[in-house]
Amino acid sequence: MKKLAAFVVLAVLAVGAGYWFATRIPASPFDSVGSATAPLPVERGEYAARLADCVACHSTEGGKAFTGGLAMGTPLGTIFSTNITPDRETGIGGYTLAQFDNAVRRGVAPDGRRLYPAMPHPSYAKMSDDDVRALYDYFLHHVPAVRQENRPTTIAWPLNMRWPLAFWNLAFADAGSYRPAPAHDEIWNRGAYLVQGPGHCGSCHTPRGLALQEVALDERDPRFLSGALLDGWYAPSLRNDHNTGLGRWSEEDVATFLKDGRNQHGVVFGSMMEAFNNSTQFMTDGDLAAIARYLKSLPGDAARDGAPWSYQAAAAPAPAGPMASGARIYAARCGFCHGSDGRGRNEWISPLAGASSVLALENASVINITLNGSGRVVAAGVPDAYRMPALRDQLSDGEIADVLTFIRGSWGNRAASVTAEEVRTLRELTNAASSDPIVLQMR
Amino acid sequence: MELTINGQTHQVDIEPDTPLLWVLRDELGMTGTKYGCGLAQCGACTVLVHGQATRSCVTPVETVAGAKIMTIEAIETDPVGQKVVEAWVAQQVPQCGYCQSGQVMAATALLKQSARPTDEEIAGAMVNLCRCGTYNAIAAAVREAAQA
Ligand code: FES
Ligand code: FES
Repeated sequence: MKKLAAFVVLAVLAVGAGYWFATRIPASPFDSVGSATAPLPVERGEYAARLADCVACHSTEGGKAFTGGLAMGTPLGTIFSTNITPDRETGIGGYTLAQFDNAVRRGVAPDGRRLYPAMPHPSYAKMSDDDVRALYDYFLHHVPAVRQENRPTTIAWPLNMRWPLAFWNLAFADAGSYRPAPAHDEIWNRGAYLVQGPGHCGSCHTPRGLALQEVALDERDPRFLSGALLDGWYAPSLRNDHNTGLGRWSEEDVATFLKDGRNQHGVVFGSMMEAFNNSTQFMTDGDLAAIARYLKSLPGDAARDGAPWSYQAAAAPAPAGPMASGARIYAARCGFCHGSDGRGRNEWISPLAGASSVLALENASVINITLNGSGRVVAAGVPDAYRMPALRDQLSDGEIADVLTFIRGSWGNRAASVTAEEVRTLRELTNAASSDPIVLQMR
Repeated sequence: MELTINGQTHQVDIEPDTPLLWVLRDELGMTGTKYGCGLAQCGACTVLVHGQATRSCVTPVETVAGAKIMTIEAIETDPVGQKVVEAWVAQQVPQCGYCQSGQVMAATALLKQSARPTDEEIAGAMVNLCRCGTYNAIAAAVREAAQA
């Protein structure tokens, strides 16, 4: 009896402690700061918001900026991004700086609810106090307040309880802002800060584990930024992989790509086009150079990457088979822009010879862009002159498979062939009218 | 930027990513080359760059600076081009004519590469669109030009 009583007391204590832990409001360095701080110049916070690309998720196409409502799939149901305009009832107008900080860097709402890690707070945790203060200032003082109710998630009870996320955070989010690595110079450290922190590059480019956590949050793990599949696109490696990463890019190439959306190696497309349109092109030259310095310091993995690519003129394809049919389709559909030699046209039209997205093991990106074309790249307010058209209505699954097999196997490219089945699957998933379209996944 | 078109050099001062088609039509007033889709889909804008059929609507002008460009205006100065035009007239190919300058350029490029093309090669190379459906006449004219 005594034993039982002791057990019950212990159990109650454990549950109590767990409950306290899972709903407690964490400490913020801003706890003692009142909300009545003088506004900063708009540029300061606006820049921080560009770095963190808040608008990407906290807006919908055609909706007002920062009013949220973007649907994201999770294995449990759909969640929606929230209104982060300073409206007092539906937005974050009532937040103190400390509450804002807890949401951004620790994933905790003012009432102690844990945010879904769709909010990339494991990355934002690394943001500096200054950047968080600037963001707060921007959202509270410079963004127009818009009344728009948040949409409830479609996740059913009991899975919609948020407290277990506190334990997810415990396991997968490492707390504390970025600490400069003394072994590296200031530029490298600035780059590391931008990539790991506000830029949250790993949200797309780092593979995810079983609990949907990014398997690595910094360069200490070779899987960091080693490429990942998401929403029907493959975000390639940003490490120095010769074929499938940034191995053949110079630091200047990386900075130019992020500034102009293009360089001689390729043009932004898919999700990166959005990141470029909304975020990277607004970064200062100094910050882009820092990002480039940091990324170029990440070693590649020759075992994963395969024999190094070098250009080879196309051999005459066999008279029959997918390579031959692919070559014919290429000449009629692709070669006019990408060149019969696969080399593209300077930085204006992507080369296919040696392009990392073409050489990647995952073929989602090449299939997706062939089916659906590329979106509009807008650099400095000017839309692009040349855009990949959607070929979904012009080419069959088999034809797309053949032409991609040809492209992935020509000019020194040595990537595996593509099957009609793979094309069919992605055709279904990227057709908004199908019964099973891709919903943007939590990331 | 210096362009060599139909044997003549032209100096143009223009954004490097401007499509060659706009330079031809708007800057240089050479309107024989037509604008159909602007998306590399139809072939109405076909010109020859170093003898290769090139869709000028998707060719950033910067990438053909210094190259030998030929347009429909000078096609009869080219021996192959002249044969093509003669066959075109003999077969009375054009209907409305809009796509035809592009078709003639594509046919010339084909015959430069392969003087006696098979029917399959003709089908593979003559992929420009024609709203008037002159495809059979086009194929016949290409065959005739190849015999000439
Ligand atoms: S206008 Fe150039 S291909 Fe149609
Ligand atoms: S003749 Fe009219 S479009 Fe070809």
